[in-house]
Amino acid sequence: MRNKLYFGGATLGALAVAAVAFSRQTGAQQAAPPPPVATLDTSSLKGPTQPILFRHDIHSGQLKMQCQYCHYSVQVSSEPGIPSMQTCMGCHTVVKGSTDEHRVEIKKLADAWAAKKPIEWVRIHAVARHVRFPHSLHIKALGSNGCATCHGNVARMPQVFQVNNVNNMGWCVSCHIERQVTRDCTACHY
Amino acid sequence: MGDDAQSGVDRRQFLKVLGVTGAGAAALGGCSTDRVAKLVPYMVQSEDQVPGVPTFYASTCTECSTGCGLVVKTREGRPIKLEGNPEHPVNAGALCSRGQAGLQGLYNPDRIGTPLARNAAGGFDAISWDDAIARLAAKVPGAQGRLAVINGYGAGTFSALLDQWTSAVGGRTVRYDPFAREAERLAAERTWGRSQLPSYDFAAARYIVSFGADFLETWGPTVEHQRGFAMSHGFADGQMAKHVFVGPRMSLTAANADHWVSVPAGSETLVAFAMASHLGSTATSHTPDSVGTATGIDPATIRTMAEEFRSMSPSLAVAGGVPGQHRGAIDLCHAVNLLNEAAGNVGRTVTFTAAPIGSDGYAATQALFADMASGNVALVIVHEANPLFTMPKSGKFAEALAKVPFKVSTAQVMDETAAACDLVLPNLHGLERWDDLQPRSGLIGLLQPTVQPVFAAMHTGDVLLATARKVGGALGAAFTATTFEEHLKAAWGNDPEAWREALAVGGKFSGALPGADASTAIAAVPDSARAPASAPASAPAPASAPAASSDVLVGVPTFDGDGEFVFLPYPSMMYYDGRGANKPWLLENPDPMTKITWQSWVELHPDTARRIDVREGEIVEVTSPHGSLRAQVYVYPGVRPDTVAMPIGLGHTQYGRYAKDRGANPLDLLGAANGKGFLPYVGTKVSITRTGDYHKVAKTEGTPRQLGRGIIEAMAFTHAAAGMTPEEAYRAGGHTTHEINPPRELEAIDGWYEGQVERWKIGEYGIEHAKWGMAIDLSRCTGCSACVTACYAENNIPTVGEEQIFKGREMSWMRIERYWEGGDDGEPIEARFIPMLCQHCDNAPCEPVCPVYAAYHTPDGLNGQVYNRCVGTRYCSNNCPYKVRYFNWLKYNEKAWPSPLNLQLNPEVTTRARGVMEKCTFCVQRIRGAQGRARLEDRPLKDGDIMPACAQACPSRAIAFGNVRDPAAAVVGWKRDPRGYRVLEDTNVQSVITYLARVIHRDPEQPAAASDSGGGH
Repeated sequence: MRNKLYFGGATLGALAVAAVAFSRQTGAQQAAPPPPVATLDTSSLKGPTQPILFRHDIHSGQLKMQCQYCHYSVQVSSEPGIPSMQTCMGCHTVVKGSTDEHRVEIKKLADAWAAKKPIEWVRIHAVARHVRFPHSLHIKALGSNGCATCHGNVARMPQVFQVNNVNNMGWCVSCHIERQVTRDCTACHY
Repeated sequence: MGDDAQSGVDRRQFLKVLGVTGAGAAALGGCSTDRVAKLVPYMVQSEDQVPGVPTFYASTCTECSTGCGLVVKTREGRPIKLEGNPEHPVNAGALCSRGQAGLQGLYNPDRIGTPLARNAAGGFDAISWDDAIARLAAKVPGAQGRLAVINGYGAGTFSALLDQWTSAVGGRTVRYDPFAREAERLAAERTWGRSQLPSYDFAAARYIVSFGADFLETWGPTVEHQRGFAMSHGFADGQMAKHVFVGPRMSLTAANADHWVSVPAGSETLVAFAMASHLGSTATSHTPDSVGTATGIDPATIRTMAEEFRSMSPSLAVAGGVPGQHRGAIDLCHAVNLLNEAAGNVGRTVTFTAAPIGSDGYAATQALFADMASGNVALVIVHEANPLFTMPKSGKFAEALAKVPFKVSTAQVMDETAAACDLVLPNLHGLERWDDLQPRSGLIGLLQPTVQPVFAAMHTGDVLLATARKVGGALGAAFTATTFEEHLKAAWGNDPEAWREALAVGGKFSGALPGADASTAIAAVPDSARAPASAPASAPAPASAPAASSDVLVGVPTFDGDGEFVFLPYPSMMYYDGRGANKPWLLENPDPMTKITWQSWVELHPDTARRIDVREGEIVEVTSPHGSLRAQVYVYPGVRPDTVAMPIGLGHTQYGRYAKDRGANPLDLLGAANGKGFLPYVGTKVSITRTGDYHKVAKTEGTPRQLGRGIIEAMAFTHAAAGMTPEEAYRAGGHTTHEINPPRELEAIDGWYEGQVERWKIGEYGIEHAKWGMAIDLSRCTGCSACVTACYAENNIPTVGEEQIFKGREMSWMRIERYWEGGDDGEPIEARFIPMLCQHCDNAPCEPVCPVYAAYHTPDGLNGQVYNRCVGTRYCSNNCPYKVRYFNWLKYNEKAWPSPLNLQLNPEVTTRARGVMEKCTFCVQRIRGAQGRARLEDRPLKDGDIMPACAQACPSRAIAFGNVRDPAAAVVGWKRDPRGYRVLEDTNVQSVITYLARVIHRDPEQPAAASDSGGGH
């Protein structure tokens, strides 16, 4: 396994380069201090700024929600599924946030829901157009916690960023070799 | 693939962005994610949509009056492919090209997106739906008693509503179908006193004679006919029915006959009468001898046919359809009825149990037009019909229409009739609306919305109901429902459970129908395997009361004009009555007989062409007493020298970018006079004049002859029944040994094979792999080309257009090749068909020449093509003996799918860019998909899990696909058939497609072969 665990956002003060660094595969590894404190200033966080500072570190890390709760189709489909606004509001009709920072972000969601305007998330991972990547088969093989193999430890990311270049075919193939599974071109390219 | 400019179709957005609404300003770069794309979630997740997983809906096809059942495959809320409904009694899972291309009607870029009203300047203004309904409602009260509706939609709840609405206003509806089978209905009335269309069981017939009826192409429920025909006429277990075609032109149906009896147009009647009289019918005084003298056909041929018709029981004679619709068509159909009576077929292969529901007939149409012309109609509504195109110009329908003060059309696309109307209220497409359709007694198909309306059209049922509310009074009181959906559910009994059940299966296929007489129960459909010849059919025999022999001596029908040639228009297999002409798939799919795309043509016999000194592509002027047109010549050996033929369907002056000003309309040459209750399509004589102009014919054929290459093997029935291989049959036919591989080569092949096995082991990773293979039975394949359209639909194959076809750049991964045999020195001409696709050779010549390993062999035996590796050297194509690799020369992917046609694209298949070689993959996306599903369900893959698109669509079930390493697989059984051979086997490419040789009965002139050849008795 070349699973790169990535403890992103660990040192908020040291992330001046993050904005330009995210698109290439960085190998920077840091020790893992406790999850960071939220801040409205997202400029120092890795990864693209999202319309809402959705905290994977809180949902997945602190609350230990399963990835599949929101990414509902990952086990049955090639697509992982982006949670509908209704899914968000299922909790956030009640959960309004414990801090001002949280309340501000959750209000953005409630406003969008009221205005019937879906949030336009900035996309982070996308395999090229000539590649089929069936999420379901990979979850089947790696288990329901296998997401981190490619996506890194999202549970520690206040703002998601790309850990592995999902379009680096060598990276795909090395894992397939390690696990003795198909390396046939038409497994992915057709 | 990394061409960023190719954002016309951004596959990743299409696939990955969930609930897409044009999300993402920038296209994703091919291999990087540096650009910003957006993920837009659903507000509320639909329960029956999982992103990345297709959802299937049952529906009903509206492309012709047959009403085949559909399974609509949708992804993320968009229909991406139409397939036949396996549960449906008519089409049993298969679907013709026209039906499949319904998708391009849904997404057609030329659909009308808003109601249109005629303005003072003569153009159209876009108006709102409220305004449109108000304008219609304003005209309705003044049209009391003077309203007329031309309805081209079949029977069902909508048409009943329309009738009710019209009679509430005080008007009349005329059910109009340009290819209505009126002659047959009138003949049934004459023969049996039943004003009904019979239905025919081709599957049970052991001997089939068609008198000009193109039952495999455009006449009647063709998919059902094809299935039945394949069951009876496909060679199996040493048995095979015999098929004889009598008519002036070799249509696709005639090409599938064992013998084509070429007779002058109109003389089919005489042959049918002569056969009937030989079988003892007293209703006619024609005899084989008298007819032989009159038509020049050997009386012995007629006698043999009659004898076989009786002895190979049950037999079946059919007549009807446009190419047989001359002025004597009722006589012809009557003669055929007598023939079926004489051979005892009525109640067996000819029944009235599932009678197709016809239209109101040509007389009603004519009467309406006369009323319109005399100013007796104040308001006309034209629904799902385009009479300005489908009626001959000489009928002066345009002038009659112009006399009507207010004209309304519900056309989805601006067709000729809509362009002449004052108000256009675009109807929803069949895939967008609630509806039902009753094509025959005992069968009703449901339509359900499979997509949000692509254009802001409105269900005509809703328009009628809204107008009724607005007008009020008696009209308003006539309807309680506020929407058509409500009305439909009420008509189906308002039983939610039964409704859900009907929706799931696609309608109601037996038993009492909603709102129908319970006595119209359907009998078993002709799918129930090959019934023993002696088994009495369960259907009740129709009233058998042969008419008194009043008109015993029927001559050859009359023709208008004194031209040299009989003019034979015939419905195109692709365009039908012209409605297919705006769908690129149908334009690009070659006509099976001529292989011409995107054009119309005039067929001349080679002798005729030589005599008047014209060559292929020369433009001639065809003149009849009713008009003239200019069209290209196609020299066609399958038409009589005294006849010229021309396909119907092109020659539109409107109808969107693909159809407009393309080709010529043969109906312009016809007289519109009411023959005897029908439009006599074959009722004019024409003369041909050279013009000296030339336009290249856009055809996809290479050489029309096999030149001894043995591409399509055929063998005599007696040889096939004796279990011979094509090779043995060849020798038995008196030919010298036909050595495919001499011993030295065979030795080399063995050595090569061992080496190859070693090579295959690379990449097997210790897993037992499947090896995919295919078998195609040429004795079942009719050449109908439904597989070709299926391939285009499944694999995102771009259409390239006429100009590119000239350069031989069509992209059809699967094509139907047609080769001529015989035809010289008085030999009968024969057409043979073969589906040609990548043969996935084990020793593929394309693979070693690829410098970048884009063409390679997969562990499961596919000849893989990796688009993102391909650099476009085209060496592989040069080295392919089958010429099944297609190079994407230009940015076809940017032009082929103008929005919203791009919504039809299959997200599971990469859309190829310029500079890439592409080809048949055996639908690898279906293979990988099925493997993945099996994996998720922890079960082994079983035979039948994987069905390539071509095999799925095939109405004749001529294609078997599966794992050739699985001894239980159906394909393995097919491959063991002695008739099996491989095309160009001597090239030692070891293709994995086995073709089963075509089997032909010997000509009826050889009674010895014919009399013992039935097998079914």
